This record gives sequence, structure tokens and C-alpha cells, in this order.
Amino acid sequence: MGRSVWKGPFVDAYVLKKAEKSRESGRNEVIKIWSRRSTILPQFVGLTFGVYNGKKHVTVNVSEDMIGQKFGEYSPTRTYYGHAADKKAKRK
Amino acid sequence: MASDDRVCVGAIAGAFGVRGEVRLKSFCADPEAIADYAPLWSEDGARSFDVTLTRAIANGLAARLSGVTTKEQADALKGARLFAGRDRLPALGDDEFYHADLIGMVVLDTGGTVLGKVQAVLNHGAGDLLEVNAPGLKDTVLLPFTRASVPTVDLATRRIIADPPEGLFDGLFDGG
Repeated sequence: MGRSVWKGPFVDAYVLKKAEKSRESGRNEVIKIWSRRSTILPQFVGLTFGVYNGKKHVTVNVSEDMIGQKFGEYSPTRTYYGHAADKKAKRK
Repeated sequence: MASDDRVCVGAIAGAFGVRGEVRLKSFCADPEAIADYAPLWSEDGARSFDVTLTRAIANGLAARLSGVTTKEQADALKGARLFAGRDRLPALGDDEFYHADLIGMVVLDTGGTVLGKVQAVLNHGAGDLLEVNAPGLKDTVLLPFTRASVPTVDLATRRIIADPPEGLFDGLFDGG
């Protein structure tokens, strides 16, 4: 069952505070967070978070299409490297 | 062909059937694209194979390799890795790079200080990340592969100029 709409999205208060502080300062910095359960809100777009995965902070650049997802979805706790082969990376 | 000019694109997992077909494991983004990169070379560069894919099978592809006509020959190749010439890979668009090219490049900051070496390229759904192995840090650092964080990628000199967000390389310059 999904979360009741009347409650609004869940975000840990410290994440909101840190994001607000970073946005006000205008500095290009990584906001380290441990809250994988927090929902990504529209005001986080453009910020860079370091989401803890139990070992280290995984860098997550928040974009518009990530709104409504949880931070933890972008910070896997297991890593599979595989082979480079013909795989491409695009610089955005 | 020099080993630097080749990219590992697959491996032979053994024989498939009794008619000389092989069980092929493709490492390509699109597994069937491995046939487009033929001729494929053995690791030592001594043998080359043309590849004809016959069907998709569990955990891979069934394929015929030129010069392999019996099950015994196919079995003898079990475990062999297959390499494609770097020039066989398709041309890339603007701001696109092959992982194989990025891995091993030296990362410097805008002041020219060495930050580390690219160990892997990852994508967890929030854009590509360069995993940088910084010699002064315990763990690797994930650098976002964006124009803001990585303004310059010089393939010729194999160097990346990075302007990382604050706090990403914490501990690198303070002995921690």
C-alpha cells in the first residue's frame, strides 16, 4: 500500500536543512547524507548529494526526472563492475 | 595488433552442441553487437575469428567461429577471451566516450595537482560517475561525469581535468 497523500512526501528534517543551507550558500559542494529513505523533492534539483551506501557516500546529481524517488535508489549497496567492452559514457 | 588497440568484448564459455558451435559470452552493451566487431582476436593476438551468431541461449549466445568446426576445437577454446580492434568500435557523438578509453586516465584538478586514476565508470541511474582511485585516500571517490565537474577530457594525453564539488576529495590534502 502506498503512503497516504495527505501526509505529503517523507524527508528527514536534516536533509531539508542541509539542502537549504547549500542552496543559500550557492557553493558547489557535496551534501553528505545518510538518509536513503528520504524522498527527492523539486527543491533538490541541481544539487549534488553524497548518499551513504553503508561503505561510502555515492555522488548523486539530482535531476528533474528523479523527483519522487528515494535517495537510496541511486546509491546501490552492491557494485558489479563487469567489462568495459563497447560501453559508453556521456558527459552531461 | 598491439594490446592497447584492442578491447575485450567477450569470452568463450565452451562448446555448444557437437557440431563445432561455441557458447559465447558477450560483454557488449548490446550483446549481439559482438558479431559486428569481427574479426575477434585471441588474447595473444595470434588467432583471429569471424563470428556468426546462430541463436540466443541461456547465459549467452551460440555462435560459429571461423576455423572452429568440431566440438573438440570448440572445447579447446573454453575460457578464451575475445578482443576487438579499437578501430572496429563505432564512432562516438559529442561528449561521448568509451569506458575503455576513460579507464586508466589520470585525473588532475584545475591547479594541475594529481587527484588519482580512473578505475571504473559507473552509472547507478543518476548519470555517469568516474570512480577515481586517489592514492592518499582509503576508499575510491565517485566523480560526476558532467561538464561542470569534468571540463576537459584529453584522450591524446590520457588526462582528465576535474573541478570536483567541494568535499568530494576530503582528506586527500590534509593527510587523512
